[in-house]
Order: sequence, then structure tokens, then C-alpha cells
Amino acid sequence: MRKDVLIIGGGATGAGIARDLALRGVDCLLLDMGDFCHGASGGNHGLLHSGGRYVVKDPGSAAECAVENTVLKRIAPFCIEDTGGLFVSLPEDDPLFADRFKDACRSTGVPTEEIGAEEATSSEPGLNPLAVRCFRVPDGSVDPFSLVQANICDAREAGALALNHCAVTGMTVEDGRIVRVDVQDRRGRLSSPIVPEVVVNASGAWVADVAGLAACTARAGLDQGSMLVTYGRQCRHVINRLREPSNGDIAVPSHTSTVLGTTSRPARSPDDSAVTREDVDFLLRETSALLPSLRGCRIVRAYGGVRPLLGGNGREASRSFSITRGDAVDNLVSVAGGKLTTYRLMAEKVSDTVCDMLGNSSGCRTHLEALGPPADVEGGSIALARLRRKYGRMASSISTSDTRVICSCEQVLRSEVTAVLKTGDALTLADVMRRTRAGMGYCQGLDCTLSVLELMMQGAKMDPLLALREFLREREHGISQASGDQLRQGLLREHVLNGVYGMGEME
Amino acid sequence: MSRVLVIGNGAAGLFSSWLLARKGQEVVLVGRGTPSTSMSTGCIRTRPEGCEREMAEFLVNEHMPWAVGARAGLSKIGTPFRCWMAPSHSTWKYGEAPGSVTVVSIEGHPAIHVRIASSLLIAQGIRAEHLSLPIAVPPEVPLTAAFRSEGSWELLAKALRTTSSDAVLLPAMVPLREYGRLDALERQCGRKVLEAVTPLGPPGLRLTELMHARAAGAGVTIWDGRRVTALDIKGDTVRGATVSGGSEVKEVATDAAVIATGGPLVDGLNIKGRELDDPFGVFQVARSTDALRGGYASREGMMVRVDGRRMANAVAAGDCVYSERRDHGSGLAGALDSARMAVMALEGA
Ligand SMILES: Cc1cc2nc3c(=O)[nH]c(=O)nc-3n(C[C@H](O)[C@H](O)[C@H](O)COP(=O)(O)OP(=O)(O)OC[C@H]3O[C@@H](n4cnc5c(N)ncnc54)[C@H](O)[C@@H]3O)c2cc1C
Ligand SMILES: Cc1cc2nc3c(=O)[nH]c(=O)nc-3n(C[C@H](O)[C@H](O)[C@H](O)COP(=O)(O)OP(=O)(O)OC[C@H]3O[C@@H](n4cnc5c(N)ncnc54)[C@H](O)[C@@H]3O)c2cc1C
Repeated sequence: MRKDVLIIGGGATGAGIARDLALRGVDCLLLDMGDFCHGASGGNHGLLHSGGRYVVKDPGSAAECAVENTVLKRIAPFCIEDTGGLFVSLPEDDPLFADRFKDACRSTGVPTEEIGAEEATSSEPGLNPLAVRCFRVPDGSVDPFSLVQANICDAREAGALALNHCAVTGMTVEDGRIVRVDVQDRRGRLSSPIVPEVVVNASGAWVADVAGLAACTARAGLDQGSMLVTYGRQCRHVINRLREPSNGDIAVPSHTSTVLGTTSRPARSPDDSAVTREDVDFLLRETSALLPSLRGCRIVRAYGGVRPLLGGNGREASRSFSITRGDAVDNLVSVAGGKLTTYRLMAEKVSDTVCDMLGNSSGCRTHLEALGPPADVEGGSIALARLRRKYGRMASSISTSDTRVICSCEQVLRSEVTAVLKTGDALTLADVMRRTRAGMGYCQGLDCTLSVLELMMQGAKMDPLLALREFLREREHGISQASGDQLRQGLLREHVLNGVYGMGEME
Repeated sequence: MSRVLVIGNGAAGLFSSWLLARKGQEVVLVGRGTPSTSMSTGCIRTRPEGCEREMAEFLVNEHMPWAVGARAGLSKIGTPFRCWMAPSHSTWKYGEAPGSVTVVSIEGHPAIHVRIASSLLIAQGIRAEHLSLPIAVPPEVPLTAAFRSEGSWELLAKALRTTSSDAVLLPAMVPLREYGRLDALERQCGRKVLEAVTPLGPPGLRLTELMHARAAGAGVTIWDGRRVTALDIKGDTVRGATVSGGSEVKEVATDAAVIATGGPLVDGLNIKGRELDDPFGVFQVARSTDALRGGYASREGMMVRVDGRRMANAVAAGDCVYSERRDHGSGLAGALDSARMAVMALEGA
């Protein structure tokens, strides 16, 4: 198969590149070895940074975040909750940092407003009353799955081909050019190798592995971070600790829960995202300094992600990004680093480079054209408005007349699942979950999984036990770190799955 | 005659109160909440060691016959389920599996998952057919509520007559008093009617209801919906308890106590972080490597105080007792057996 551009990696960056190039009329193919968001784009807080977090130590990245924050709120309001953010220092924090923060915000263009502790606690009632200095920033909460999905949706509409569960396994280099790319498609849609003009390596933490397929080098340090999902929303704003970025600084309200993060340790491989019990205890302890009510809070699950970092280790490394051309290969462009918040900017810069190589002179339009429907479309029912917020443009393909609920924790309609299955992208139960949230709630898919699987089996031949085990094992990783009341849920789960259905015995 | 207070309305509490009442004790059972017993499949998976006879007698009910011996059935997703004692329609004699099964479902209702079940039946070498009933029941409405009218049962019987398999697999949908419906269906359609083994559904509720009726029939006073919030303990002796329910709080005196409050799942034991803890703040909890398998410690059958002192008149039974052997999903036999041992220990005391 001939293609102008092959993009490897269906995270935010790759999906953004596919949209950008497709809007410029470039014929491109996007592949991900897992589902879209299989990497860091599915393993982060979903904090739409204002830039505040990086102003002091990483002003370049802060400035990028500040600009992109406003762009994304404008083009993709449907998948962003404009919660606003607070930076808050506690008595034990360095008192000078607040002043440095204030100055740095001014010079990097991150909008801030200092408010009194009283005002802060009245707008965020759960906040530690001992708060010393408080600043408002335009942080927000973004749903990475919807964001990436919307990019893919748009890219497809503009003519791009995007396939998940399709891994790039080899490259043939001749005369300093990649002339052939071998792929392995879990569903057998692509049978022949790909012959691209340009290859874009947007494989995040796998950037070195993919470059290695063409005997090129790409350097990125791998760094693991852990996050916790709480039961229920524990705060209204994104809450940040006002100190040098360190561990356990952030609480992000997200859908029906709050995401607490994060930690930083070197990762051995891109898959080394496991969360330890120490991480869980640590995160709860640190974040409950900001929000004391978190102390006895029920943790639904824990999850991790691996960041590819540029230069330095852990918190020292810049959150900015770099674009490199393959050292010995002409038509390979690798991109690494960055943030979810800056994915569009990264995509723009990569697309500029690629268009240069292709001799295409059209400019970037991704910051001008809406990525989804506006947040407050007039008319339509409440049900439709809810679906628009969740699915963007795809909402119109979901029936609101069938009110049957399939996942009661997250109030997912059966028709949402049916619509997602119709797109043909969902191969596994987790794929359906990422798109609909069915299974993300406090029962972690105990109730809805079977009903979703039943629907999946209507359209496709599949081994139900294999599918169930794959999904439940993934969920179990997260649950095994739960504590308090959530253990009851875990116990019930074991009774049902292992005790009654014999899932454990039938291996 | 002395008075025994039994705390907990699950299998262990109901069986021990029945045993005590039969021996002429005055028994008051206090319980609240949904016991694990009601969430279970209502099938006893393993053979209880010492009380087969009493159990058979306890569970006997002309409305719902039980079958004993090595048995096998099918879960609502079609996986095999093995047990030792079950209501007669849930299982067949081990080794006599039907060669073909028609899986009956209601489109979109989670009581049974017809495609999953059929696929897993085929994997076990059982021929499978689908039969989707032409009725609509919202997923959140239990089938026991949907199958109340004669019309719906007739419709079912008619649909079943059109199948040709050895057996039909039905979602669990009959309450205790309607159990005879399954016999009638079997006669009407001329083939074995199997009820799918289901957690969190009618079978567990039926079992609890049956046990409840047997205990009440033996003279046990049952205070439903009430909770024991504190125990009055002097030295090594329980002398009474505080019972609260609704707006009422009262103190009751007792000569002995059976603690059958269930495991952490139903709040019988507190969870603090990842450890178990006694909600009464009195008794020793033995910890296990798997936090949730721990439970009350006992010495010579009696409960042990936090300070290590052995109680003179308090015993524990069921999921709240420490047990290394209890597997997920197989606690009923253990609950019944430990209830019998608890009663024996009380008698010895
Ligand atoms: C713990 C943590 C918290 C974070 N929190 C935030 C936050 O709150 N806000 C924010 O803005 N940013 C955050 N980030 C950063 C953000 O998640 C990442 O910068 C962003 O998601 C990177 O996207 P990406 O597309 O570049 O990489 P990825 O999302 O990792 O995508 C790479 C993709 O390439 C695919 N791939 C790899 N090899 C192959 C192959 N051979 N063939 C086909 N496909 C392949 C992978 O499957 C993967 O899906 C966080 C990161 C971490 C780790
Ligand atoms: C989904 C599921 C499926 C299962 N399937 C099977 C199976 O197929 N076969 C099998 O053998 N076992 C099964 N089990 C296990 C079995 O149900 C339990 O082991 C058994 O029911 C325990 O009985 P129990 O009487 O000890 O506790 P429970 O049945 O849990 O009863 C304890 C009761 O005491 C109440 N209580 C607690 N504290 C107080 C208080 N202070 N005052 C008043 N009341 C109180 C609780 O609320 C609860 O209602 C299953 C369990 C579950 C959850």
C-alpha cells in the first residue's frame, strides 16, 4: 500500500498529526499497535495545563501550555471541563516560591490572579484551611480519550486512514530511505507492507524502539508516574500544590471521580507502568495535605503511565518536545516529549516539517477549525447535550430514544455501546470502555462487562472467555491497589468472577 | 432454659439459631442488611464435614426440593458450576450433562447472556441453541417481577415447546413460593428445565428466605432490620447488647452470644486501610496474608478478647470467623458447619 505519510502511534500526538496533515490534503495512514490512547495518552491525569506547573523551572514548556490551553478550549470545548485551577501553598512550603511563581507567570504569559485564602476556601470548600498563598489559573480537565477520538474522527473525515491494533514490526531501508514498512494487523485489514514517502515516529515512550527499526537512534528518558482514581468528585477545581513540581501535587476533577497524582521514577521499558502500594499510600498522604477530606477516601483504582522525557531525569527534565530527522535516514521524522496539553502544537510543527519534505505548501488549520461541536449548542434534548459533551460529533449517530442503561455506575446507554461497535474500531472490551466509560465506574466492569460482551458477540466471532480475561486482568491491576471500602467491591468481584463463574479455574 | 442472642441474619446466624431453638433455648436473632447468603448462588459447593443430616433437615422444604451428591450446573454465562447440594432445578447429577441445551433469553436483559453462554457451552461439547423470548423487560427490572402474570408463564411454556434440545437453560426468575413453576414447565415442554446458576439473584434470596422460615418455625424470635451496635461485656462474659433500628434503641440481656455477622463484604468486619477490624472493638481479629480472609480468632471454640482473654459465653460462626480454607464463592458449607460447631462449643461451656 502506497501512502504519502505513515504515522506510527495513535496517541494524542499521532492523532493530532493525522488530523493536521489530512486537513492539509496529505494522504496519510495512522497506525497504533494497541488501541488509540494505548500509551501515555491513556495514562495521564487529563490536566489541561495552564502552564502554571512549569513556570518556574521550565518556562518554555509553560509558555507553550499557556497558548495551547486557550486554543484547545476554543476548538474542543466539548471534551474539556473548564474547572479553573488553584495553586495553593501550605505553611511548610517555601514562602519564597510563591513570589517566584507570580513573577514567572507574568513573564511566560500564564494568566494568574492571587486571591486570599478565605476566598480560596469559599470557592473550594474542601481546601486545607491552613492554605497560605493561593492563585487562580485557567487549568482545566480534559478527557484524553474523547480528545484523541475526536482528532481521529476529523482526520478520517478529511480522508486519512486510521487503524488501531495494527503494529509496525519492521522497516526496510535502501539508499538512506525507508522504502517499506511491515505491519502486523490483529484484524487482518492490512495485508501488504506499506510504501510511504515519509514516516512519522510519534510513538511516545516507544520512540527509540521504532527509530531502531530503521537503524536510527532517538533518545528519550523513560519515567513512570502513578495516579489514583477516587470515588466521587472530591474538588471543584484542579488543585495544585504551590511548590517546585514534585510528587503528589495534583488533584484533577474528572467525570464522576477525581484523579490524584503523580509520582516519578525511572521506567525500565515503555510498558513498565505498574503502580506500587507505596505510590498509593504516598499519593493519598500528599494530596490530602491539600484536600484533607481525601484522607479516608475510597480509591477505586490506580493506574500508571510512562513519559518519554527530553534530557535530564524525572522532574528535572523539560516538558517541551523535540522533532528530529533520522540520522542516517532521509524520510523519518521522530517527535518526542511534550504534554497532552501541547499535542496540537507538536502536531503542527511535525506537520510543517513533513509538508516541507513533501513540497506541500498549505498551512496549518487545526487551531482554526473546531474539533467537535461547540459546548453549548442551542436546541436538542438534555440527553443529546450529554452525548455531545461525551462524544463530540459522533453524538448524532447515537440513538436517544432507547433509554436502556448498560453500565449503571457511569450511566452508559446501550445505544452508546452499539454506536461505538458500529465504527469497527472496538476489538476488545477495554476498547469499548475507553470510548464509552462502561466499566470505569466503581464496580470496575463487574456488572456491565457481560452485557457489553454480549453485544460485541452479535457482530463478531470471538472467544468470550479470552476477551473477559484480558479485560478483567487489566482492571484487576488497578483494583489490587484499592483500599478501604473499595476492597468490598473487590471481594464481591472475586466471589462472582472466580467463585460463581469459575473464571480463575478455567485457565 | 437460657437466652441466646444471635447476631447476623445470614446462613450461619439462621442455622445456629435453629439448632439452638431445637434444643429448647430461647433465641433472639438480630440482623440487618443483605447477607452474603442472599447474594450467593444458593448452592452449597462443598460437602460440610459434620452436619449433613442436620442440614438436609434444615433445608427441607416441600416447595423447593434439594438434590444432594456430586452435582453440576451452568452459570448464567455458560461456565460449568460444580457443587454438592442444590435446589433440584439448578443442577444435574455429575457426569449426566445434557447433550444439547436451548439457552433462553430476553434481548437486552442481563439475567442471562445468550451468546456468551452458547459459545461457552459449545466449548464444553454441549450443543447449544438460542431462544429469545418475544417480550421486553428493562434491564433494571428483575425477571421475578416481570414473570408475575399467568400469561407470561404460558408464553414461556409455548416458546419452550418449539425447541428440540435435551434441556432448556432459563435465567433464574422464580421466587421461593413459585418454585413449583419449574416443575410445571418441565412437564409442559417435555424436557429438563435448568435454572442458570446466578449470583446476586433469586437463588440466594430463596435460600435466605427458606432458612428464615425454618428458624422462625422452630421458635426463634427474629428482629429484622436491626443492628447490634455494642456489646455489654463484663470480664469474659457477654451480658447484653445494644440493639438499634429505626428510631428505637434498646438494651437486651443475654446469657450467651453467637456472633454471625459475616465478613468484610457485608460490614460484619470493618476495613481500615487494608486491614480487618472488629466493629465491636472487643474481639481479636486474626490477620491473613490476604487481608480479606482474616476474621475473628477463637480458642477452644470460644472468642478471644483483644487482651487475649478467652470468652466464657461468646462464639462466632460463618464468614466473620478466621479461616484459611474458605474460597471465594464456597462459604455456605463453611458457614453452616461452623454454626454447628459454635452451638456445640456453647453447650460445652
Ligand atoms: C503519569 C503521567 C501524567 C501526565 N499528566 C499529564 C497531564 O495531566 N496533562 C498533560 O498535558 N500531559 C500529561 N502527561 C503527558 C502526556 O500524557 C503525554 O505527553 C502525551 O500523552 C503523549 O502523547 P503521545 O501521543 O506523544 O504518546 P503516547 O500516547 O504514548 O502514544 C504513543 C503510541 O504509539 C504506539 N506505538 C508504539 N510503538 C508502536 C509500533 N511499533 N507500532 C504502532 N504503534 C506503536 C503506542 O501504542 C502508543 O499508543 C502525563 C504523562 C504521564 C506519564
Ligand atoms: C456473590 C456471591 C456468591 C457466592 N456464591 C456462593 C456459592 O455459590 N456457594 C457457597 O457455598 N458460597 C457462596 N458465597 C459465599 C457465601 O455466601 C458466604 O460464605 C456465606 O453466605 C456466609 O454466611 P454468613 O452467615 O457467615 O454471613 P452473611 O450471609 O454475610 O450474613 C451476615 C449478616 O449479618 C449482618 N450483620 C453484620 N453485623 C451486624 C450487626 N452488628 N447487627 C446486626 N446484623 C449484622 C450482615 O449485614 C449480614 O446480613 C457467595 C458469596 C457471594 C458474595
